[in-house]
Amino acid sequence: MSKTILIVDDSLSLRQLVSLTLKRAGYDVIEACDGKDALSKLGGSKIDLIVSDVNMPNMDGLTFLKELKQRKEYRFTPVIMLTTESAEDKMKEGQQSGARAWMVKPFKPEQMLAAVNKLTMG
Amino acid sequence: MNLDEVLATFFVECKELRGEIENLLLHLESAPDDADAINGLFRAAHTIKGSAGLFGLEDVVAFTHAMESLLDAVRGGQVPVDGEMIALLLESCDHVGDLADHAELRAGESLEHSVQTRGEGLKQRLRAYIGGKPTAGTAVSVKPAMPDSDQRSGEPVGNGNGDWHLSLRFDKEILKNGMEPLSFIRYLATMGTINHLVTLLDGIPEIDDMDPECCYLGFEISFNTDADKDTIANVFEFAREGSVIRILPPHSKISDYLELIQTLDPDNHIRLGEMLTACGAMTAVELEEGLRTQREREERPEGRREPLGEILAEQRLAPKETVDAALAKQKEMRESKAREIQYIRVQADKLDHLINLVGELVIAGASAHLLARQSRQTRVQEATSLVSSLVEDIRDSALRLRMVEIGETFNRFRRVVHDVSQELGKAIDLEISGAETELDKTVVEKISDPIMHLVRNAMDHGIEPLEVRRARGKPDKGTVRLNAYHDSGMIVIEVADDGGGLNRERIYAKAIERGVIAPGQTLTDNEIVNLIFEPGFSTSEHVTNLSGRGVGMDVVKRNITALRGSVEIASREGEGSKVCIRLPLTLAIIDGFLVRVGDTFFVVPLDMVVECIELRGQETSVSCESSYINLRDEALPYLRLRDIFREQGRRGRRENIVVVQHAGNKAGLVVDELQGEFQTVIKPLGKVFSRLQGISGSTILGSGEVALILDVPGLIHRTLSRMEKAPGQLSH
Repeated sequence: MSKTILIVDDSLSLRQLVSLTLKRAGYDVIEACDGKDALSKLGGSKIDLIVSDVNMPNMDGLTFLKELKQRKEYRFTPVIMLTTESAEDKMKEGQQSGARAWMVKPFKPEQMLAAVNKLTMG
Repeated sequence: MNLDEVLATFFVECKELRGEIENLLLHLESAPDDADAINGLFRAAHTIKGSAGLFGLEDVVAFTHAMESLLDAVRGGQVPVDGEMIALLLESCDHVGDLADHAELRAGESLEHSVQTRGEGLKQRLRAYIGGKPTAGTAVSVKPAMPDSDQRSGEPVGNGNGDWHLSLRFDKEILKNGMEPLSFIRYLATMGTINHLVTLLDGIPEIDDMDPECCYLGFEISFNTDADKDTIANVFEFAREGSVIRILPPHSKISDYLELIQTLDPDNHIRLGEMLTACGAMTAVELEEGLRTQREREERPEGRREPLGEILAEQRLAPKETVDAALAKQKEMRESKAREIQYIRVQADKLDHLINLVGELVIAGASAHLLARQSRQTRVQEATSLVSSLVEDIRDSALRLRMVEIGETFNRFRRVVHDVSQELGKAIDLEISGAETELDKTVVEKISDPIMHLVRNAMDHGIEPLEVRRARGKPDKGTVRLNAYHDSGMIVIEVADDGGGLNRERIYAKAIERGVIAPGQTLTDNEIVNLIFEPGFSTSEHVTNLSGRGVGMDVVKRNITALRGSVEIASREGEGSKVCIRLPLTLAIIDGFLVRVGDTFFVVPLDMVVECIELRGQETSVSCESSYINLRDEALPYLRLRDIFREQGRRGRRENIVVVQHAGNKAGLVVDELQGEFQTVIKPLGKVFSRLQGISGSTILGSGEVALILDVPGLIHRTLSRMEKAPGQLSH
């Protein structure tokens, strides 16, 4: 069964490109434009990995992560946070909320694919 | 969806974000400390950079990176915002646009030299603003988990098989963070061959102390690969935090292994040593020897900790600055407030199709309703009137989909005013009000150019030079105002300035000179100033770069008339001018008032109908086209539609007057019969009829008959002009 990845980012083009890359590699992809949207799209279904931007309107990535960890079924879902190199304070805060995987923007689609592979081969 | 489509999305997005950057920058001009705006700017630049990187648009990435670095410094409070910086960032924003355009239109070609030079110049200036210190751009990502093996001591051990040795002690909490150690190891296996893997169970505590959600296992791996150390280390990039991951290259020195043992398992050297020998990393003899050396070294107090301490320090990422958590939280909350409204992107043609269908539905609904009424069956009538009211709701909602706030269009002028005022050397402010006023998207698109012309005109010809302003006792800074509001089914857009106003004598003289009016013609002040909208009119003494480029006010008027709108200027000499544009809210569907004249049906836009009254015999004057009645002690001029459209058909028993209003003027239209309110879809008239006066469109009635939509502003204008030419024809 193919794995399902949820991609959360306010940039439509970024979402589309990541989604395209992952779909070509055989993943199922769900897109959400911010934390709130992402929470509403989880809906109890099985998600194998979440890729989330940090800096988003409405609900940012870290708040989303905290909310996610409150939900029993997604407590153990791996999350890759997307950030800029200049957001070290955010990284620190994110680590406290259990974000271990960080990717620095800008990245190449293949880097994203590699990162996703690393975390979903279990 | 393919890559090109996604790329197209990026370019649209990039354009929007640049608009946002511009607006925020211009906003910062008046409020340089607005943290929301600064955060918004940073986010926009950051998003462009992030997405551009994804598409491999290196030029855009490198350039936005420079912008982002500066904005980050601003955000951190290291660099204050000033006017020069705003100008620089605006210029940079344009440059991003050029880069994006280049990528969009001439992908693959190298950048033009001039663009390249400009980019470099801008980048240098951006960097200079941060104070010459290196930009925050050195990535903290991917650092090797361990320094390369050094030359301190010992000889290469004879494991001879050329394998890497990996020691993995994952963070106990790793599973809780959603990471699966096995996943990393499997991924590792995609890069080479795992020759040996020993699982260490020693870490597992007593059953009572054990947390089933923790990972207590350690792994020793002998791994054969062509990949370099960074690549191997990268496999575990997400697991680095809290975990101990040691990677020893093939043919490492024995001292490295010893250090490894020491680091990982200080209490249990022997056991780990056995593991290593089991993995083939070293031989038993080497281990024995090594441990002895280690013990000897331990006995020398100064030598003991040195290598280990060093490694430990290097192994962990340098501790990052602790930042006030509360501050971060605050910032975060402010950011999330910035954009609360959510949008769905819909292709415009899909929406147009929907509106078209709704239009047809309205007509079909009206037809069904008519049939139901004729059938005189109550239940059918009830059913159709329910359908009608629903259709009406659908129509309204569908039209609302096309409605956009005019604010976005207005905001674009901030940049124009900013640039033009610098160009002209006049200090000019733009004030915007009514930005939330909504109107149809197609109207918005078409109105932008006329407004642009009016704004430039106001700045160039309206606002006086500084000396003149001072002499007139006006504030140094000129003001251009954009305002919008709804007024009887129309949207009114005002472009006002507090400049010199229009010179009536000059306009009058010019109009005669240009043959726009006949010499000796008497005109009201209002009519004189509005002559500037006549074709072939320009009073500017010298043609400047901005206005007077041949695109005159008559073009503005023509564009607006094409939208079924009207334009008027009011001006007081020395005090300023105000141009008033009136436009219908939508181009597609109107609420109409159906009337009959002879055998023809006409539709009057309902928003313009004030009231309907009966025209009594004694007030009628048959002889001329236009007359007056006394409407509650007010002279109301009226027009006979029968005469205007040369209708021959049957007359009504009584004639009625529909009182209509537009732009503050009232007039009466005499009709034979009132038919009531009627919702209708406007079908534009063909080109053949473009010069037809008094009619603005047509529509199809439920019965299948064609009704003509009256051009009320045109008719009112006609009534009033007759009234002025022939005063004294009062009929009572």
